Amino acid sequence: MPIEVFCPNWSSDAGTVVLEQERVLAVSPLARAAGVQVGMRRGGVLMLMPDARLVERDVLREAEALHAVAMALLQYTPLVAQAEESILLLDIGASLRLFGGIRALCHQVRADLRTLGFSAALSCAPTARGAWLLARNNGHRGGHGRVVKMASLVRRLDRLPGTLAPPARPFAAWFEGLGCFSLGDMRRLPRPGLQRRCGRALLDMLDAAYGMTAELFQWLEAPTSFHAKLELFDRVEHADALLYAAQRLLLQLTGWLCARQLAVLRITFYLEHERGKVARAPTLVDIALAEATWRDEHLVRLLKERLAKLELDAPVIGLALEALQVQPMAPPSESLFPEPGGSEEDCVRMFELLVARLGPENVLQAVPYPDYRPDLANIWVPVQQAIRPSVRAAQMPDAIHTFPRPEWLLAKPIALLMRDHRPFYGSPLKMATNAERIEAGWWNQMQTRDYFIAQGQDHALYWVYRERIVGSHLDRDPRWFLHGLFA
Amino acid sequence: MIVPQNHPAPESLHPSLWRASQLAHSSARCVDTGHPTLSSQLPGGGWPTGTLIDLLLQQTGIGELRLLRPALAAAASRRIVLLQPPHAPQALALAALGLPPSQLVWIRSTRSADTLWAAEQVLRSGSCGALLLWQNHARSESLRRLHLAAQCGETLFFMLRPLSSAQDASPAPLRLSLRPAAGGVNIGFVKRRGPQRDAPLFLPLNHSLLQRHASLDRPLSVPVAHRGLLPELVQ
Repeated sequence: MPIEVFCPNWSSDAGTVVLEQERVLAVSPLARAAGVQVGMRRGGVLMLMPDARLVERDVLREAEALHAVAMALLQYTPLVAQAEESILLLDIGASLRLFGGIRALCHQVRADLRTLGFSAALSCAPTARGAWLLARNNGHRGGHGRVVKMASLVRRLDRLPGTLAPPARPFAAWFEGLGCFSLGDMRRLPRPGLQRRCGRALLDMLDAAYGMTAELFQWLEAPTSFHAKLELFDRVEHADALLYAAQRLLLQLTGWLCARQLAVLRITFYLEHERGKVARAPTLVDIALAEATWRDEHLVRLLKERLAKLELDAPVIGLALEALQVQPMAPPSESLFPEPGGSEEDCVRMFELLVARLGPENVLQAVPYPDYRPDLANIWVPVQQAIRPSVRAAQMPDAIHTFPRPEWLLAKPIALLMRDHRPFYGSPLKMATNAERIEAGWWNQMQTRDYFIAQGQDHALYWVYRERIVGSHLDRDPRWFLHGLFA
Repeated sequence: MIVPQNHPAPESLHPSLWRASQLAHSSARCVDTGHPTLSSQLPGGGWPTGTLIDLLLQQTGIGELRLLRPALAAAASRRIVLLQPPHAPQALALAALGLPPSQLVWIRSTRSADTLWAAEQVLRSGSCGALLLWQNHARSESLRRLHLAAQCGETLFFMLRPLSSAQDASPAPLRLSLRPAAGGVNIGFVKRRGPQRDAPLFLPLNHSLLQRHASLDRPLSVPVAHRGLLPELVQ
């Protein structure tokens, strides 16, 4: 923990060494490989590894990190408490069925901790204090401690060293003199004598660990609004490298949302830049959702596409996340026979993903506009713009079957060559229908055109028009244009 | 060849066996093409859903959407995605084909990688009724990837490509070539699970467009008999 607040396990290892009172407290793997050991002095470290990054232990930052982890773990149970020595206690008794059993739950918690950038010892036990002791023991030795039955917990606890319990530590020498090394030995000592010499605290702790008294905890309360911040320890120049750090913040958001039974509609990331000569405002990445969510997979996917598009103009040193718009969580309504094609929400989620990568101007829906001019009638707007069905129906012209319209409309009409007084496009065009006269738009773009369906010698159909009024010279040859293709 | 009577026919042994002279049974659900002559030539009797269907066009605008109209109209209860069409689609014309504008989605992209990514997302989500993808050049590994993605769901997936790519290999189990013909379109069977067919199939498609207005050069069907008094007025 002291080291990972400075160098999370997803960042590159620069040989970080944490000092407390001029003594080494923790070392990163790279520094350990160079020979730096716990307990060394500053001078010794610098001699072994001149480019080591020496930092003072930051207790405040550790507390913040522990709080962040606790926030993220709130998604598994509403009962999370902070215990002494950087240990979090979770009451998972009610969550086992939801998350698929103790193994699956432990696996998920471990994966989440890895995403957050911390390594931790995980242990489960029927009593909270028992789990605390097992985790404290495993923190030094590694390995997992998963105990489900009370009898096996008693067996495991009896073998643990006695100095693990904090109230017993001042009396370590006295216990050693008695030949009392493990918690089991300690329990066999006469209780009144133990209480007189070591105080009430040790007995209370032992009773709690062995399940002989009830335990009380102060469960963590989630704050009413969410704002999380993360300082990066490298200067990040590529936006997609921020994804790891952002994932950590999203995980905290998930925990907070679950604890407060909320779903999020809009979140904003602030990418904080280095303060150079001029202060630079943070870059904002705003993610608005059509459908409120409290799971982070969809948010991570959206963010990945947004970050891939983002161009950073200065290195990023910090990241903050704010939930701007939340609403009460609506439980998913599962139908007995799910539709094969997925629900409407799936569709909305897919469009959000497409918009995040392609941009809103490239994912379009049709809103035909009642205008006689074909290019003005063909209106497409971004798919996420809400259009009421009644508006769309009211704008729909009634006579769609009366007048033929081509499926493909050229963006700009192509002027056609004339050969033997016939328009020519690949081959001479033969008019297959009568003219449809469109004369509208005297208020902005006047169009006076006669539209025909023409057929080329290759039997393909074209939508062509003739300009009826050609400037001021009415005696000039008519001009023909190709405006659409019938698909 | 004479088959002994006591041997069971191979097509009755397993659904994925068929004789070279027969059309295969389709394992996928099929959507009726709406053209009975075409349906009878396709394995399963229609467009298979959840597979890549290759349509090879001689040029754009030869009746490809009118050919797909009945199938798309049947799929229009869910969204229909037009991905990278060659020109701006005209919503009113598509509405006349029976595709309501509220169900149409037009996706544009500038890079081919984005187009393929978008196609894969649409197919994997499986929440759309049909996907039409226009691509001029597609590498065979991206085709295979799209074919696999299509198998995740029941989306009707057509890929419209130029006729020149008929030479390239494709994982699509059904590949048809479309050439314009007088009054309709000629369909060539480049690849299908069934017997080789060299003669193209002609489908009339144009009459709905052209019969709204009487054609100028159509011969008059009723000859004018009398120029005098009408017979029923003569007593």
